[in-house]
Amino acid sequence: MNPEPDQEASGKSDGGISRREFMIRAGATGALLAGAAAGGYALWQREHFVPGFQAEKGLQLPSYALAPDKLLPSLAIAHGPEHDKTIRAAIGALGGMGRFVKKGDVVMLKPNVAFDTPPPLAATTHPETLRAVAKLVLEAGAARVYIADNPINSPTGCFWKSGLKQVADDLGLDLMYPEANSFSPLELNGEVLRNWTFFHEPFKKATKVIGVAPCKDHNLCHASMTMKNWYGLLGGRRSQFHQYIHSIVSDFALMMKPTLVILDGMNVLMKNGPTGGRLSDVKQMNTVVAGTDMVAVDSYGYTHLMERDLAELTYIHKAHDRGLGNKNWKDLIYKEVQA
Amino acid sequence: MAAPVSAPPPTGNRKAFRRTRVSAVERGASLTIVLLLGVIGIGIWWKGRHFDPNRFALRPDALKSTAADVKGKSGTVGATDAGPGETRASLKAQPAAAGESAGPGEESASAAAAPAGKGEPLEIKLDGLKPMGDTEFYNAENLFEKIDGRAPAYLNFNFQNLRCRSFSVAGAGSSYVDVYEYRFDTPVNAFGMFALERDPQGEPLGFAPDGYASGMGFFFRQGACYVQVMASDLNAKTIELAKAIATDRAKNLPASDTGLDGRRRLPVTGMDPASVQFVQENAQGQSFLKNVFQANYDFAGKKLPFFLMTTTPEAAAAAWKSYLDFAGQFGGKATALPDVNGAKIFMAQNFGSWKVIYQRDGEIGGVFDAADGDPARQFVEKYLEGQLK
Amino acid sequence: MKARTARRIAQVFFFTLFLFFVVITDLRYLKGYPASLFLELDPLVSFATAITTHTIYMGLLWSLLLILPTLLFGRIFCNWICPYGILHHFVGWLLGKRRAEERERIEANRYKKLYSLKYVILIAMIVAAICGSLQIGWLDPICLFHRSMTVAILPMLNLFFPSSIYVRQYFHVGAWIVGFLLLFLVGMNVVIPRFFCRVLCPLGAFLGTLAPVALWRIDRDPHKCVDCDLCLKSCEGASDPHTQLRKSECFVCFNCIEDCPEDAISFKFMPQLQREITAPVVPGRRAFLGTLLGLTFYAFGRASGASDRNYDKKVIRPPGSVEEKDFLDRCIKCDQCLRVCPTNVLQPALMESGLEGIWTPILNMKIGYCEVNCTLCGQVCPTGAIQRISIEEKTGTGPFVDEGPIRLGTAFFDHGRCLPWSMETPCVVCEEVCPVSPKAIYSREVTFTKRDGNLITLRQPYVDPALCIGCGICEHECPVTDEAAIRVTAVGETRSRDRRLLMDGGVTSAPRSLEGKQR
Repeated sequence: MNPEPDQEASGKSDGGISRREFMIRAGATGALLAGAAAGGYALWQREHFVPGFQAEKGLQLPSYALAPDKLLPSLAIAHGPEHDKTIRAAIGALGGMGRFVKKGDVVMLKPNVAFDTPPPLAATTHPETLRAVAKLVLEAGAARVYIADNPINSPTGCFWKSGLKQVADDLGLDLMYPEANSFSPLELNGEVLRNWTFFHEPFKKATKVIGVAPCKDHNLCHASMTMKNWYGLLGGRRSQFHQYIHSIVSDFALMMKPTLVILDGMNVLMKNGPTGGRLSDVKQMNTVVAGTDMVAVDSYGYTHLMERDLAELTYIHKAHDRGLGNKNWKDLIYKEVQA
Repeated sequence: MAAPVSAPPPTGNRKAFRRTRVSAVERGASLTIVLLLGVIGIGIWWKGRHFDPNRFALRPDALKSTAADVKGKSGTVGATDAGPGETRASLKAQPAAAGESAGPGEESASAAAAPAGKGEPLEIKLDGLKPMGDTEFYNAENLFEKIDGRAPAYLNFNFQNLRCRSFSVAGAGSSYVDVYEYRFDTPVNAFGMFALERDPQGEPLGFAPDGYASGMGFFFRQGACYVQVMASDLNAKTIELAKAIATDRAKNLPASDTGLDGRRRLPVTGMDPASVQFVQENAQGQSFLKNVFQANYDFAGKKLPFFLMTTTPEAAAAAWKSYLDFAGQFGGKATALPDVNGAKIFMAQNFGSWKVIYQRDGEIGGVFDAADGDPARQFVEKYLEGQLK
Repeated sequence: MKARTARRIAQVFFFTLFLFFVVITDLRYLKGYPASLFLELDPLVSFATAITTHTIYMGLLWSLLLILPTLLFGRIFCNWICPYGILHHFVGWLLGKRRAEERERIEANRYKKLYSLKYVILIAMIVAAICGSLQIGWLDPICLFHRSMTVAILPMLNLFFPSSIYVRQYFHVGAWIVGFLLLFLVGMNVVIPRFFCRVLCPLGAFLGTLAPVALWRIDRDPHKCVDCDLCLKSCEGASDPHTQLRKSECFVCFNCIEDCPEDAISFKFMPQLQREITAPVVPGRRAFLGTLLGLTFYAFGRASGASDRNYDKKVIRPPGSVEEKDFLDRCIKCDQCLRVCPTNVLQPALMESGLEGIWTPILNMKIGYCEVNCTLCGQVCPTGAIQRISIEEKTGTGPFVDEGPIRLGTAFFDHGRCLPWSMETPCVVCEEVCPVSPKAIYSREVTFTKRDGNLITLRQPYVDPALCIGCGICEHECPVTDEAAIRVTAVGETRSRDRRLLMDGGVTSAPRSLEGKQR
């Protein structure tokens, strides 16, 4: 039998391990055990949930509107044959873009680029309109200008064929495509709209928001103007909206409080909207309406640009009754000018 | 040189062999090839920059083929609240953009049989009022079911639809108010119908310039809508509520006077404002008199009906000539009077009543159906000279 | 500069160029770049389509440019230009027996009888083409590489790096098949270097039949040679430079020149014929089997009827496509159309259009729809399976207003699934998004009593087949997303006289006079 190594001399405990080795090995095991326990506890989900029914938390949009002004007009109507001059006249009648955009502002311009149709068909914001508005915004000192929309057709096709990509390239505007990561859940206390996925990316840095909408007939809700324009900021399966279209459009007025809205009535899509498709659907009205109250702007547009009876436009009345705007545009301080 | 037939295969990895003798031909050819690659790269870059934009977007002039309107393809069949698409009868202020064919509103598809139940219910929220039943809707096809013999006159003025509802008075079970909103295609047509039924003894309304109160009812025209609010009895509460309803409707219906500027041309001096009327066609039985505004005047103690029609100078001249010819028939006596202030005038007496008709540029008008000829002539001459405003 | 250096530079250049083309095949970047250039240069594509269609379509004429150097220098395409070959070369170098024993490497590059398989495949494909079915796309390297990039690799990159390639993630049916196939073929380089190029590539086989007349070739000086076989160490083509060079296999990679320690190998102009094996070696029996395969592929495939009366309603082809039988004569399954399509509607067919139609493009409206003012698919199609139509021709505007638009199919309602028809719920999104004017979907207003006793007035939609162009945006936007309440099927497509729906193409109810011409 081999003699045991001198246990006393080497300081080892029974079984032949040194105290140091024991500490290290036991320590490693213990650490792993503790880690597993701690990790498990931290990730532990105690309760089950019913998929699809949880209350959703989301972001809430701030208001981009200016404080109401008692002296300056809040609605301007300009008539004229040229896009640029007429828009300048309309904005000028409101007090100039400098009233809305200050030096260093990050401005989000929201056009309606829903379809990949050419500009003469008036189904999208006209490139000359956007160009004029963007120029005014840049002249007022904006640090950055974003253009974004979540179209119904393909984003690349829409921005290209509507001519807006060209405008963005020419003026150095930031064109944002609705990429997968650009959306966040939105929380809203709307009549129908409570939680929905929202195109958040362009708003993360924006300090001012300007809606630039065309004036279009719409087969379902009668007209798509500045209020309906905000539809393009939502993602997901928007085709469910049509079940409550008027309530939802009035919810848009709750969701978005822009700095300014511009209704482009230079060429109006009078029928077969919102897609249009024939020149004969378009009528030249040579008018631009700009204002801080989208309900008022839309009510002017429906009666004077589309020449229809406001009684049909249910979402206007809903928005008015909910206090989101004034459908009697004549009650506002307004100015009508000739460009 | 005799080499071994099979040399022993080398074992292991020897250091890689590097060839150093490169011929000039090889150098030249290799360099040429690399340069060729550069040329290809530049060529592709150049090709990328030059492209036909029509590959990616519709040629702008191709849209010209869509300038003509298309008939027979309505958007919504049976839409009664004038929804979008070609069943619309929108305010026909101007012709359709470009193209030669029908503008909106002239489609026959809207005449397709459709149930009349359509549209937003008539909601009026006022204290003391409760809806009594549902909103009823009528269109041109079934209007007579509601108003019987009055319907043809409404249809003449391009009646579009009727929305009506009754409201009961809280606390007074048997009292109620009927609200009728007749919608026409244009404000001027709505005015025409309104004026036709107008009570000359009606009291003017403060909240509607074209309106009056008469008996148990409040009647007014706003925009393209002719509204009738009628109380069931003369109780103060009922009447008060009826008036409140009328005020509410006047506040909420869109105001528009498109097409009504013609009536402003009527002189005001001596006019009975409650007598202003709009006649769409066949005024005074004449086919050439369309869209005529007329009113009754008190001139020198006499009652004179005066009318006015604006059109193109050629049409006005032709109409005046036709009227002159007509006046000369059936034993009538028509005399051409000297021109006054650029206007041609004739005077005629037919079947016992006098008419003095003038034409100046695109305006034709005059006094018709007057008992005496002289006051009629004086009135017209004064008007033409600008003495009657 | 050594020739091998020039070859390496050329490889980097052409591979980068190929990747460049793959990336810029997108509306945002395409501009005027010849995105299908490699396909147009591919001589097998022009040769095979010339057999099936008796024409050489537009840009395919460029392939003559490649035939010239092949006839002079041999199969330089395979190592200098072919991006798939370059990929295999690179992967083989990366993962192969680089550090292994010299002996192993030399053995791996000896010629094997297996390498005659590509000629059998080529024969099968050419015979099928002669019969009238174009199947080169299965294994043509450029087609395969384009297809793999489009269907599998780019979507994979976009999954890992969102929005790097597409604005929204693209999906392709059967991407896993194409992806794993690519992985397999590339991975086989570990087992046999240049596995695909040596064993399967029909383009290589085609060039291998032209290479024998090349004026230059790799030549071994037997007086200097010591039979060390080192020239085989990095031989790409497995062309046996150590004995009689197999001219039809040599890739002209110049590795043997660099590896020979005795400087015995050179690239010579018209060297002696007895030191080469000029023609490819294809045993007669195998050639016969190839012929049989080609014949039966065509015959059994066609006899299954998928391209005739039993056509699948879901085979909706892109706008500008030629009639189905001609389509199968032209489509090389390169899937360039899938790559450029802005809505991801184009998908590789599996068995919907039969055996011949695997990986050809069909529209899937659940995933996308055909955008009206877009003809990008036709712009990039190299063979004219989708003709290079203009947007005016597609929409029937401008000079084409009499002929009317190109229709892909017709939409049909499924009333039981439609909200306003069966579920008392207002909707008509389909009418809203219908892009033609007047719309091809119209509605009728109806009032009826709901289950709860209240009256409801809503609009029920109808399709006007005279106006419907089959674009599918109605199906795509329908809120009944699992199986839409309105679905487009192929009947009514204008590319085929047989498959029209309305007798006169819809002239009587379409917005034009009867005097107009019919398409």
